[in-house]
Parts: sequence; structure tokens; C-alpha cells
Amino acid sequence: MLKIIFKKLIFIPIASFIVSSLAFLVVNVTPGDPVEVIAGGIASEETKNEIRAELGLDKNLSERYLSYLNDLSEGSLGSSFYTKVPVLESINQYLFDTFELIIMSLIIALLLGFIFGSLGAYFRGKFPDKISNLILSVIQAVPDFFLGLLLIYFLFFKLQLVPAPVGRLGLLDLPPEEVTGGLLIDSIIAGNWDTFKIGLKHAILPSITLGIFYSSYFGRTTRNVLGNALNSNQVEFAKALGLSKLRVFLYALVDARTPIITYIAILFAGLFGASAIIETVFAWNGIGGWAIDKILMLDIPAIQGFILFAGLITLFTYTFLDILITFIDPRIRKNTL
Amino acid sequence: MTVVKLLLNKNNIFVTFSFFILLFFSFGSFFISFPHDPYVTDIANRLLEPNETYIFGTDEVGFDVFSRTIVAGKIDLFISLSGTIVALIIGLPLGLLASEKTRRAERIMKVLDMFQAFPLLVLAIVIVAMWGNNIRNVIFAIILINVPRFTRLIRSEALTVREKRFIEVATAMGGSNSRIIFKHLMPNILGTLLAQASITTAHSIVVVAALSFIGIGVVPPEASWGSMIRAGSQYMTTGQWWTSLFPGLAILVCVLSFNTISQFILRKYESL
Repeated sequence: MLKIIFKKLIFIPIASFIVSSLAFLVVNVTPGDPVEVIAGGIASEETKNEIRAELGLDKNLSERYLSYLNDLSEGSLGSSFYTKVPVLESINQYLFDTFELIIMSLIIALLLGFIFGSLGAYFRGKFPDKISNLILSVIQAVPDFFLGLLLIYFLFFKLQLVPAPVGRLGLLDLPPEEVTGGLLIDSIIAGNWDTFKIGLKHAILPSITLGIFYSSYFGRTTRNVLGNALNSNQVEFAKALGLSKLRVFLYALVDARTPIITYIAILFAGLFGASAIIETVFAWNGIGGWAIDKILMLDIPAIQGFILFAGLITLFTYTFLDILITFIDPRIRKNTL
Repeated sequence: MTVVKLLLNKNNIFVTFSFFILLFFSFGSFFISFPHDPYVTDIANRLLEPNETYIFGTDEVGFDVFSRTIVAGKIDLFISLSGTIVALIIGLPLGLLASEKTRRAERIMKVLDMFQAFPLLVLAIVIVAMWGNNIRNVIFAIILINVPRFTRLIRSEALTVREKRFIEVATAMGGSNSRIIFKHLMPNILGTLLAQASITTAHSIVVVAALSFIGIGVVPPEASWGSMIRAGSQYMTTGQWWTSLFPGLAILVCVLSFNTISQFILRKYESL
């Protein structure tokens, strides 16, 4: 057991190195000249050279790579080209906002997906299965940002159930004292329940948008995995013993836990990048929205920092998932030993 | 001929329908004479609700939403399809290579695993933003995020087929490596491959739309579904729904069509 965990953990430093190199390559190996874009068409050659020197673009690729690795070893991701704010500080500031959004969306996605998926699995091939399959297909085909706009139109403009999509709070509301950077968590820490309620209301639209969108993926996985478990020998045996339908269903669920947990982890890691556009639609002020702003401004150090950070999050989530699964699923433990 | 016969079969009515929708959005704009030029703005009639002259209404600068929704299909579908096809062409040999039991194969998979740790949509946005706004770079971004997917799929399919008895027999009879790949492996993974290509194209449509939605890639005055949704996005809070709705529905319909075709291909190959 310890050996497996050790094996997984020893892989992390190597993988982190590869991920950081890839993050560097993606941003630094470009056919065009980003300085042209940053400086604009009418800038003089002098200004361009100044920008180049400031970004370190006057050096060649290997020199830049070495200084990037050097910075990384000191725990620095560099500073924003425009604002000079250290990238790590910005990530720290916006991380918890995105984290809150992801957690809420995941809960909604899991609930909806689980309902559709179990309906499909339990009534496989019958009417409820067909209906849930149809709903999931349509949800899967709608771009998430378009779904968000539709929800804005119906829930905000038509029904007035939710506040305007202007960000985490209303325009006149004061945010709580900053501790973690996450608005909802901070308002709980400050004991400021009014702000918490307002924040929660503003979170409804973006989190149900992402929640509905990702419920389709989760619903399909649940349907397949649970469906297989429901058709397995042990479930047939449980039925033959005369156990209640609910109990048999719960047993099948235990059998299907590994793929379902795997999918939750994949969605969690994936949402750090995938929430970016939804964050811009709802002015959420999270790390994804921040990244898109920076990308459009071609703020090279910030882009590099974000890509590296997102890569590392995925890496750590997957490693943690691997370890978790060896704990909860003896079948996998046997295979890896 | 077989394709025509399949399409005329009344059991496949949804597939036929999907096929024609995609044909319409790909080539329709070459044949329809629009009542309003999709590239000319009507400044006097901005944000007009759908009516008799403008059946889908007009957007914030006075573009006709109807003609632009149809014209946009030409570019968006071209980008998605060509990106997918090139990704398939690159991914096929890579996946077949990776399905061998060698160190090289292991290395290919390790690099791909690392690559997939990144948020692919953000990666596509970075590429197009840094390399410049043009159709070529959007296609490149689509290729880049889809090559790992194809490689992975082709590898896993090829691995299953390689286990089969007939491959063993072919090897035992002294069949060369290329003969085994082209004569025995390829025909058996073709169905899954085509089905996946169809789904990938659908997914690429959404990626292209996402790019133009945040304002890069295909940008106005060129029409694209993503940029049209973007143009209407701020008016959703004030109730002018038509600018965003129609291009959004066009995406929805095209994605559903590709998915239907994909399922159809899978069914056909499974029954063979």
C-alpha cells in the first residue's frame, strides 16, 4: 500500500518539471512577434526594443528558459507586464473565487447528473431512459456561454428571480474583509450573513449554468456505470435474496463508486480552465476570467503563470485521485501490486 | 450510391435530416440570394425586433441576423471540419505507433498525458491570441487540442484489435507490419474513427464559437456564430434576445446533427 503511494508521489517532481517546460514552450514558441501586438502598429522601433528588454524577449530561447526555471526554483512566477503585480499574488487573490464557483457548480452537476443517470440506468431502454437521454444530448450540444445568456434572459430579465449578472455582489454592496480571497468563505469568517446571502444570490446564475452543462457528462457516465452494475451477477443475487429495490440500488451504487469518483475528480480539474468563459460572462472575478483578460492583453508572464498553475492543479488532483482509489477499491489495489 | 440508399431509408430519417442541415449551413449561403447583404449594416434599423423585412431582427450595428446566421456556418463549419480532418491525419499514425509495445510508444503516451493536464480551451485561446487573429491560427488551435484525443482513441482501439486471433494468425503467417496495419487493423477501427471524427467536429464548432465569443479568431465584420452571440450578449439583460438566440440555435442544431451522424456510424459498424 505504502509502496503504491510512494510510487505515485515520486512521479510528481518529474511531471511538474515537464508541465512547467510545456507551459514555457506554449507561450514562448510563437511564429509571430507578440511585441508587435503589445506595442500596437504605430510604435517606434525604440519602444518595441524597450518592451522586448523588459520582457526579456531580447535574449534567446534557452537563456529565457533557464531564467524561467531559476525564478521557479525561487518560488516566483514573475510579475504582470502591465501592472507589475506578482503573478502568484494575483492567482492567490482570485483562486478562492473560482474555487467557490467550481464547488457550487459541481454540486449542481452531480445532483442533476445523478438524477438523470440513475433514471437512465434503472429504466434502461424504457421511456424514462429515452427522455433523460434526449435531455442530456441537448444539454451537451449547447455551448455553456450561450446557456448562460439564455438563463440571464429567462431568470433575470423575464422572471426577475436572480440579481443582475454584474459580478459577485451588487454594485453598491461592500465585500467582507479579505482573508482567503473567496467572497462566500470570507463573509462566513466575518460572520456577515447579509453579504453571504447577497453573494449566494449572485452565484445562482453562473453555478447553475456550469452545473447544467456538466451534468450531461456526469449523467452519461453514471448511466453507463450504474447500468452495468445493475446488470451484474451480484445484483441479480441480491434481487434473488428478496432484498428491497432501494437496497439493491444502493449495492449497485457501491459497486459503481470508482468510475463515479474518477469522473468527479476529472470534472473538478477540468473546471479550472472550463469555467473561464462563464466567469467573463458573469463578471465573476475569478482566476479564469483574470486569465482571459491577461491573454487578450498578451501579458506573457501572467499567461505563462496561469497555464503552469492550471497544469499543476490537474497533476495534483489526478495523483490524489489515484491514491484515493487504491484506498477505496481493493480491485485496483490488487492490479497495481 | 450506398450512402444515398442509407439516407433514403425511412428508419434513418433523423440522420438524413442532420445531413441536410449540415449541407445547408456549409453551402447554403452560396445559393441563397439574401434580401439583405450580410456584410452591410443598416444604421437606421439597429436592434430591430424580428419582423417581416428582418425575419431574425437586426443586431446592435444594424447587421441582418438572418443572413449572417447562415453565412457564418460556411466559415465555422469549414474551420471545425478541416481542423478535425488534419488532427485525424496526424493522430492516426501517432496512435498506431503508440499501440505497439515499445518504449517509444510509452514515451508518446507520457507526453500526451502531460499535455492533457492543461485546460485545452484556454490553450486554444492562448494560441490564437498570441499568434494572431486569423482563420489559419484557429484551425491550428483546433488541430492541436484534438491530436491527443485522436491518438488516445486510435491507440486504445488498435490495442483491442491487436489482441484478436486474426492478427495473431496474420503475424504467424508472416504478414509484414504494414500489411497488418493497413489490411487488418485499419478496417476494424475505421467505424469508431469516423464516429469520433464526427463528435470532434461538433466539439470544435463549440471551441471556434467560444474563441470568437471572447473576441478572437474570426472577428467582425466577418460573420461567425460566436461573435454574433457576443454582439448580443449584453442585450440579454435588457431583453433583446434575438441577436444571440439565432446563432446559438444554429450551433445547437449543427452540434446535434454531428452527434446524430456519429451515433449512426457507430450503429452501422457495430451491426456489421
